[in-house]
Amino acid sequence: MDTNIIIAEIKKYIENNILAAGMQVDAATDLKQAGIDSFSTVEIILFIERKFGVSIPDEKLVPENFKTLQSLAAIVQELMPRA
Amino acid sequence: MSITSFNKASLPKKVILSGADCFHLVLDKHAKKHSAGGNVMRKIFYFNSALSYNKINDILKSSPVIYWLCNIKFVPGLLMKLPTWQYIDRNNEIILLEHHTVVEDGIPDNILNRDITIESTRFIEADLVHYPSGGCAFILSWNHILLDAKGTTLLFEHLNLLSENKPQSFDIFFPGKEKKTNIVTYIRNMYKVKKFVQTSSKPPVSSVACTSLKTGDGKTLTKVISFNVEETKKINANAFKTGSRFGPTLYLVACCTHVINFLNHQKNKAGDIWLPIPYDGRLRGAAGPLISNCVSFLFYRIPVNEMNTIPQTVKCLSTQMTAQIKDGIPQRYSMFLNMMRHMPLWLYYFLISRTGKGVFASFLYTSTGDNFNNLKSLFGEPIRNLNMIPALTFPPGLTFVFLKHDNELNINIAYSPDVINNNELHLIEEKIKEILLADY
Repeated sequence: MDTNIIIAEIKKYIENNILAAGMQVDAATDLKQAGIDSFSTVEIILFIERKFGVSIPDEKLVPENFKTLQSLAAIVQELMPRA
Repeated sequence: MSITSFNKASLPKKVILSGADCFHLVLDKHAKKHSAGGNVMRKIFYFNSALSYNKINDILKSSPVIYWLCNIKFVPGLLMKLPTWQYIDRNNEIILLEHHTVVEDGIPDNILNRDITIESTRFIEADLVHYPSGGCAFILSWNHILLDAKGTTLLFEHLNLLSENKPQSFDIFFPGKEKKTNIVTYIRNMYKVKKFVQTSSKPPVSSVACTSLKTGDGKTLTKVISFNVEETKKINANAFKTGSRFGPTLYLVACCTHVINFLNHQKNKAGDIWLPIPYDGRLRGAAGPLISNCVSFLFYRIPVNEMNTIPQTVKCLSTQMTAQIKDGIPQRYSMFLNMMRHMPLWLYYFLISRTGKGVFASFLYTSTGDNFNNLKSLFGEPIRNLNMIPALTFPPGLTFVFLKHDNELNINIAYSPDVINNNELHLIEEKIKEILLADY
């Protein structure tokens, strides 16, 4: 799956379900700076696992992988089965 | 700057209490019944130099939120009518009291002993304490029924903007209209949540307090444990090493759990620990509402056999947290609390206190996270340190507050002397330092 599609899906989820109205994030936004806390990160992980059918292993659960939409998309791509 | 800088007529005439506000009404009733604790929260800001009384007084009096908090009256619910705050303009302004004390960083007893009850004329109070060193402390006290932890953060941001004369939109400070929920959804949800909480809190649950204990003078004592920047870094690193992957919360909860388990062992009453932890229900990045509790809870039950090691307890907490977020428990519990508002207070109190046979929790934990970490100044003056005295619910009569400022962690322990004696407090301090700073 194209990285931009993954980013767009996660962005849509975060903006519609986690962030206050009018707040936006882009591929490089620092999610912590945007107000994403530990509970919201768990919500994002659950969304990713549901939406993309992947399971994020413990060793991938490191803050660097959850810093931006870009890093999240990279993890999803890495975990998705190759076509 | 003057009080006329906002339009009093534009303040909301009526604000309906949220489900979480009503839950605090129950806690207020509970505190009165046990003549202990209370629902007053205090935030203390320490400064190296003396602040100008007149400057702070002017800023506080120019706040529409503070003015509203000094001119409201509680109107209890009746039958299907929900409890409300009614704004009646009585020209009440906040009173800023000045104190001098010889104990550096001490808080005078006359501040700590002052209660703000549901019958009070003002729901917020301010004090300025001067110390021999020339430094001072600014203390704001309020009733928890009106403001939660995030609301407090927003209040101080609002005061900072006022002191800088920056424009603000006041509408977002007050709760907006609630979304209507279908009655069938309400009932289905109520059943699910009730079942979940009942299972989670099912007796026997071990608490630091004896539930039948009735305290004497309702005194709340506090103890602050401070960690420097290096120690705070180590605590954060330990959190990650022990499996608390997204911030230190689960690690800090696990450490508190082990300390309480240790204490309960000494008292020959070790057992499962039950712990509700507040969860901010606002959308992230939201600038409001400031007034009203917008919290829900995550509920953790830690069986005795999951308290052998810290990583084991962190894992146990992590599994429960993920499962509850997956099931939408915090959102469902909010809906449940909103539904409970329709009940008469006495029935609400009866149901809540019956659920855990008088054990509201094994102990209480709250954290302001990074909310105050970057708050460097207040009223334009650099903050040296800050502390918080939480509302103390009894039982359990012991609350841990984790607060970070300038990358230094402070743990504020609020306790009832009828529950924790000096020896036990010393043990808690020793044990918490040992566990938090251990090498994992």
